[in-house]
Amino acid sequence: MHDREPVTRIVPSPDPEPDVRLSAAARPYCDNKSVISCQNLTRRFGNFTAVDGLTLTVDRGAICACLGPNGAGKSTTVKMLTGLLAPTSGTATVCGCNPASQSSELRQRIGVLPEDLGLFDDLSVEEHLQLTADVYGLTRTVARTRIGQLIAALRLEPAQRTFAGQCSHGTRKKTSLAMALLPNPQALFLDEPFEAIDPVTSKAMRDILVAAAARGVTVFLTSHILPVAQEIATQFVIIREGRMVWQARAAELTTPLEQIYFDLAERPDHGDLDWLGMA
Amino acid sequence: MRREQESLMKVPANNLYYAAAAFFFMLDPAAAAFVGAIVAMVLFFPLSSDPLRHIPRSRFHLWPLESIERRLLRVLSPFLNPVTWVVLVFALWRKVSLGLGALAIGVFLLAFVASDWIPQGKGRAWRAMPRWPGQLGELVRKDLRGLVRTLDFYCALLVGGAAAAYRLAGLLPADAHLPGTLLAMLAISTCAQTPFGLDGRAGMTRYRLLPLRGWQILLAKDIAYLLVCVLLTVALDPLAGLAAGFISLAAARKPAVQERRAQLRWRLQAGTAFGGAIAQIILLMAAASSTHLVSRLFLIPCALGWAISLWWGGRELDR
Repeated sequence: MHDREPVTRIVPSPDPEPDVRLSAAARPYCDNKSVISCQNLTRRFGNFTAVDGLTLTVDRGAICACLGPNGAGKSTTVKMLTGLLAPTSGTATVCGCNPASQSSELRQRIGVLPEDLGLFDDLSVEEHLQLTADVYGLTRTVARTRIGQLIAALRLEPAQRTFAGQCSHGTRKKTSLAMALLPNPQALFLDEPFEAIDPVTSKAMRDILVAAAARGVTVFLTSHILPVAQEIATQFVIIREGRMVWQARAAELTTPLEQIYFDLAERPDHGDLDWLGMA
Repeated sequence: MRREQESLMKVPANNLYYAAAAFFFMLDPAAAAFVGAIVAMVLFFPLSSDPLRHIPRSRFHLWPLESIERRLLRVLSPFLNPVTWVVLVFALWRKVSLGLGALAIGVFLLAFVASDWIPQGKGRAWRAMPRWPGQLGELVRKDLRGLVRTLDFYCALLVGGAAAAYRLAGLLPADAHLPGTLLAMLAISTCAQTPFGLDGRAGMTRYRLLPLRGWQILLAKDIAYLLVCVLLTVALDPLAGLAAGFISLAAARKPAVQERRAQLRWRLQAGTAFGGAIAQIILLMAAASSTHLVSRLFLIPCALGWAISLWWGGRELDR
């Protein structure tokens, strides 16, 4: 079952052409059908290969769920696609930009929920959103409206004046997600967005992402919560030990995603901790 | 205790330590003792002296300790701080008089008790920082909050605050303006070497995700630093303070962008290379002295040097 050879099945899906265009794109919009593409993307840390020859295409308006065990290379992939980490070899194009050489242009077009959330301990939740609005040049009216809507949608009201350093992990994650959404990006890169999130906010986030994707926003997310990934994603990628072992469109799934994951990524294999509960 | 020890070990990398050592070796022990006294007073600042404050209250209450053990730990906690032992050894070595010793113990206990009364994480004055206008306003606010959470700021504030009090009382002689300005700028200058020290790994990630150029990120940090410089020297010579601030930033730009060392809040900041720190001290003293004694026009080359360093540092960050 744990064959190292990649099992790749790519089946064309119906064209995810959006029915509503993004409204706030005063910036040049990437009109390419394929918003994220990479060829043989590789990242090595010394002798350790974190990502090994990843080749992938994600179309505009798609939600791509990147799955895999801890340490499989998902976060490294997100970092390379968002310009946070230079690849050792291979090429990538995101929203028409090369993340390695055009990171400043790319940063205008994408929203990112990074692995470490990227928050400053000395700013409150609300101030983080204001910072994002200021830096992306949103007008005061637009900023106030969007910040209010995001705080309400992600249920951040109780913590909006709390410093990020004193917030719970879930609140910090929601703040980082709100920062990613606020400038109305063309593509979203979300590293484990649903982990440590309460069920109501998780549902709200799923609805927001599905609606945004329907309007043409491309979403690339990593997750360990397979039912959520199966519910919203239109494309799946499984990575194991840095290599892509499977990818498919949602329409192609004939067996539950969890079963495929256990077959290809890792199988639950634990002994009984027979000392637990013993007096 | 290990955390406190690490913190103490950082003191020797602070510019105030270099200044005290320089005074000591220049056979001016009174000046060395004065600088040392400023550092010691701030190290016993209520937020710094009590190691138990650094343990989250919820975790502390989860420890399997009896009530009496908790109280005992509370009473003994100052002795977990190596600074306590350093001061005790110094007092014994210098044969401090009984009255002075009693006064020191009284101040220490007062600080310790006050430390226990101050609620953790609530209602601190440093939060009430105004919002600054412009694209970088929130970043300036964040960096100001970071600066006022370093002990370097409070060392400088002791000098600047005392000068302001003397000036208001009409007791500050004109020839005290320059030494006071130099001392205040010296106290805060290590912070110019470590502008990213309090941002952490997550903060660096955010900087790399925001659509800002490197010089803009540095500009926000420099505005916060220069505002603090002017504030600290407002009762002394703010223009000389500003000149020293410009030069402190320019001289420390290389380590600031290339050797980002993590720092702790409510601690003295630890600088980078010894040679760079000495150069920074000499240059900032020359800048402040020239602006104070010779001509206010010296502020212009200082500002120009700072602008060039901002451009260079921004380019390095963008790489």
